Amino acid sequence: MSSANVLFRRKKDYKRGVAYSVLLVGNSGTGKTTFANNLLESAVFPHRYGMEASEVPNNPRVKVVKPTMVVSYNSKNGIPSYMSQFDASREHLEPGVTITSTTMEISTGAEEPPSRSSVSSDSSSFLQNPDKILFNLVNTHGVGENLDNSMCFDEITGYLEQQFDQVLAEETRIKRNPRFEDTRVHVALYFIEPTGHGLREMDVEMMKRLSRYTNVLPIISRADSFTRAELSKFKKQIMNDVEKYNVPVYKFDVDPEEDDLETIEENQGLALLQPFAVVSSDEKNSNGEYIRSYPWGDLKVDDENVSDLRVLKNVLFGSHFQEFKDTTQNFLYENYRAEKLSTVADWDVDSGKDLSTNKRDSAAPSLSNFASLITTGQFKSSQSLAIPPQSDTPSTPEMNEHSKEVDSPLRQMSQSIRLGNEEIINKIKNSPRINSSGSPDRTKLRNISETVPYVLKHERIIAKQQKLEELEAQSARELQKRIQELEKKAGELKLREKLLRQQHANGSAPSLQSRNSTQSVVSQQSKIKKEESTTDLASIVNGRS
Amino acid sequence: MTSDRALVGISNLPNQRYKIVSSNGGTFTLMVCGESGLGKTTFINTLFQTTLKHVDSQRRNQPIKKTVEIDVLRAVLEEKNFSLRVNVVDTPGFGDNVNNNKSWQTIIDFIDDQHDSYMRQEQQPFRTVKFDLRVHAVLYFIRPTGHGLKPLDIETMKRISSRANLIPVIAKSDTLTAQELQDFKIRIRQVIEAQEIRIFTPPLDDSSSPDPALMEHARQLIESMPFAIIGSEEKYDNGQGQMIAARKYPWGLVEVENDSHCDFRKLRSLLLRTNLLDLILSTQKLHYEAYRKLRLEGAGSTEDPSLPTRAPARKLSHNPQFKEEENALKKYFTDQVKAEEQRFRQWEQNIVNERIRLNSDLEEVQAKVKKLEEQVRTLQLRRH
Repeated sequence: MSSANVLFRRKKDYKRGVAYSVLLVGNSGTGKTTFANNLLESAVFPHRYGMEASEVPNNPRVKVVKPTMVVSYNSKNGIPSYMSQFDASREHLEPGVTITSTTMEISTGAEEPPSRSSVSSDSSSFLQNPDKILFNLVNTHGVGENLDNSMCFDEITGYLEQQFDQVLAEETRIKRNPRFEDTRVHVALYFIEPTGHGLREMDVEMMKRLSRYTNVLPIISRADSFTRAELSKFKKQIMNDVEKYNVPVYKFDVDPEEDDLETIEENQGLALLQPFAVVSSDEKNSNGEYIRSYPWGDLKVDDENVSDLRVLKNVLFGSHFQEFKDTTQNFLYENYRAEKLSTVADWDVDSGKDLSTNKRDSAAPSLSNFASLITTGQFKSSQSLAIPPQSDTPSTPEMNEHSKEVDSPLRQMSQSIRLGNEEIINKIKNSPRINSSGSPDRTKLRNISETVPYVLKHERIIAKQQKLEELEAQSARELQKRIQELEKKAGELKLREKLLRQQHANGSAPSLQSRNSTQSVVSQQSKIKKEESTTDLASIVNGRS
Repeated sequence: MTSDRALVGISNLPNQRYKIVSSNGGTFTLMVCGESGLGKTTFINTLFQTTLKHVDSQRRNQPIKKTVEIDVLRAVLEEKNFSLRVNVVDTPGFGDNVNNNKSWQTIIDFIDDQHDSYMRQEQQPFRTVKFDLRVHAVLYFIRPTGHGLKPLDIETMKRISSRANLIPVIAKSDTLTAQELQDFKIRIRQVIEAQEIRIFTPPLDDSSSPDPALMEHARQLIESMPFAIIGSEEKYDNGQGQMIAARKYPWGLVEVENDSHCDFRKLRSLLLRTNLLDLILSTQKLHYEAYRKLRLEGAGSTEDPSLPTRAPARKLSHNPQFKEEENALKKYFTDQVKAEEQRFRQWEQNIVNERIRLNSDLEEVQAKVKKLEEQVRTLQLRRH
């Protein structure tokens, strides 16, 4: 019965389009964007440095439903670096990390694309080839470009966890949203830099972390930097390292009892090929094939002798499409859910609240002590920021007084989040809880279904708020630095003015008249400049107090 | 015959000089710097056309978190009876970690240390034997991303460029098409200019009578910076019966010494054929002098007369990475000591408590004994 139910649901899904999500992770400059364009056979994604936007006729089967948007980011200056203009004088600043998401509709119904002709369509064909795929492509920017890349891990795994949380919250809700979109990432493609040596610390760490939430496929990018012998050596080295460091990448395992011969053969072949080596390009030849043209010869991206792009395409959209979805749903998500619910199930409202306030205490400052932050340049983790433990009124008057003068959207945001937070807590607190009546299991279940969505939301909001606060602190520091610079400049100007004045007073001989006049002009100018800087300062000072 | 008598022999001085120089030989120290897997070792071997350095298989077995090391390789190369002592300095582990902040420090320290040791040798009473490892040229390998320079590249290059002759090169340039390479070069040049990184350029006009051919050559070199290079130790037939260094791909043969494929010949010319002396002289005159001045001035301001004995307080403790580690260790140590002390105090307390308890017990027993004695006495009195 349940299998029929599943089948029914799948059928229904296929009408709307099957959600399928792929994450691209890897150091910048390994060709993620180009790969994505090659995968979809259309120029969907613009390049970071806008290398001559080639007017490639887009693939008619790919339709962008939701344009590319930034879903999560972390950077020092508080602005996502994604697609920022190339500025040579600012290139030394760390770009942080940005995650973008694009949703496309890929129709695969009518004619089979040539690349998929080799798919073994043994079992019910509609299961393998849905009419429409709601393809969600998540791309990461700036990984490996920072001096310290440790924050990249948290940002990306945070995003993945959030997707799981959303599904979990939806599942436990009493009234479900029929238009809910499942954005769990089914496959992560990790682009390994073509060093020819082996895996690096970054690669191992990132793949290990990703594999908790999704299937990880390691990929050698820019495989055209290897000769054939070097490539096979590098592949071997990577698989050795994968074994050595216990990186749980997706393995094309075979089950001799369940799988048929064809599948076994296919999987064994794929296992031998792993990690896939890809070459991608933006250039097209006259036949419409993607090529890379070098002075010493051209190579086709689709050429199986050179790159595994075609095989990879096949794996992603054909042979292992359902497999990836199933492992994500049945194994990774279930594990996550069990873990999460077992912590949430005996979640007591009060203890949870304590936990949240504790978290808040340790968190960085908020705008209400922004002024002190600017003047001292230090954090002051004041207790008044945290929700006062006994306050059931949604807002404390003290807090309002503090923040009335400063009016920034950031503050309002964090304020509204805070208010929302307390509302939720109150809701949970005031929610009718039936104790001891009925069977305990039932109450517990009911409790779970009532609280889980809220708890998850609450957690998410707290995380968001913490991030906002961090961003605030960062921008405050930046601002402070700028203020100091300005002050220094003002001081210098003042000194120069003084010097000029002295000269002016001393050198009053008539022969120096002309020079004096120019000097006075200069001093005037410097005075004006100085005034500018002081007004700048003044406005900032006014703003902050 | 007559002209023979007219010559005194003064003009033979250059020849004498030539003899001395060619019998003494020369020294050249080259540093290669860049992330692992960019073909530094291969490039060195290609440049000198011998296997100077073997691909290090030992490195595989090290833990994955690495520290930047300095690896010096010495070799003597001979060509036409002239011997050149070549020191190649490699920096394995640079840029390999998740957190690469301050990973340039080891490299910078090495360059400074060489200047410092040379300076101190000069100040010795006997200064004939000089152990000179001052870095004459630093090749900085840039990853062929096609994007731009990373902050790590910029920070490191900035610091190197103030201490030695910096020559940026684009490694493994056979993965960039001609158009991509051109765009990439332009972008790198923009960044280098905007970030005020001083790279080594061959002097354009150093004598009163500039040789137009040389000038043209130098200009060409400057125009093609940063050099896009490829390296290969394998030799292949180029179709005309010659065996040349090349990389053989299924889609073609990339020739190392072909100007339309890469800038290897230009770089070699800059490093060895035309500008080797410039590199050595500018190291001596520019970078060493700058360092010397800085050190001597710095010593003057701190009023420290015993300059030669004053070693720069660098070494291990200077490296911020090590400092962090040291602090962490110190903290751990003090925590441990505190915990132990706490434990001892607890112990002592326990002992004191025990003693008090025992004392009170004893008193109780004594009181009991006294009471009993009292009883005994009263009983005895009664009996009497």
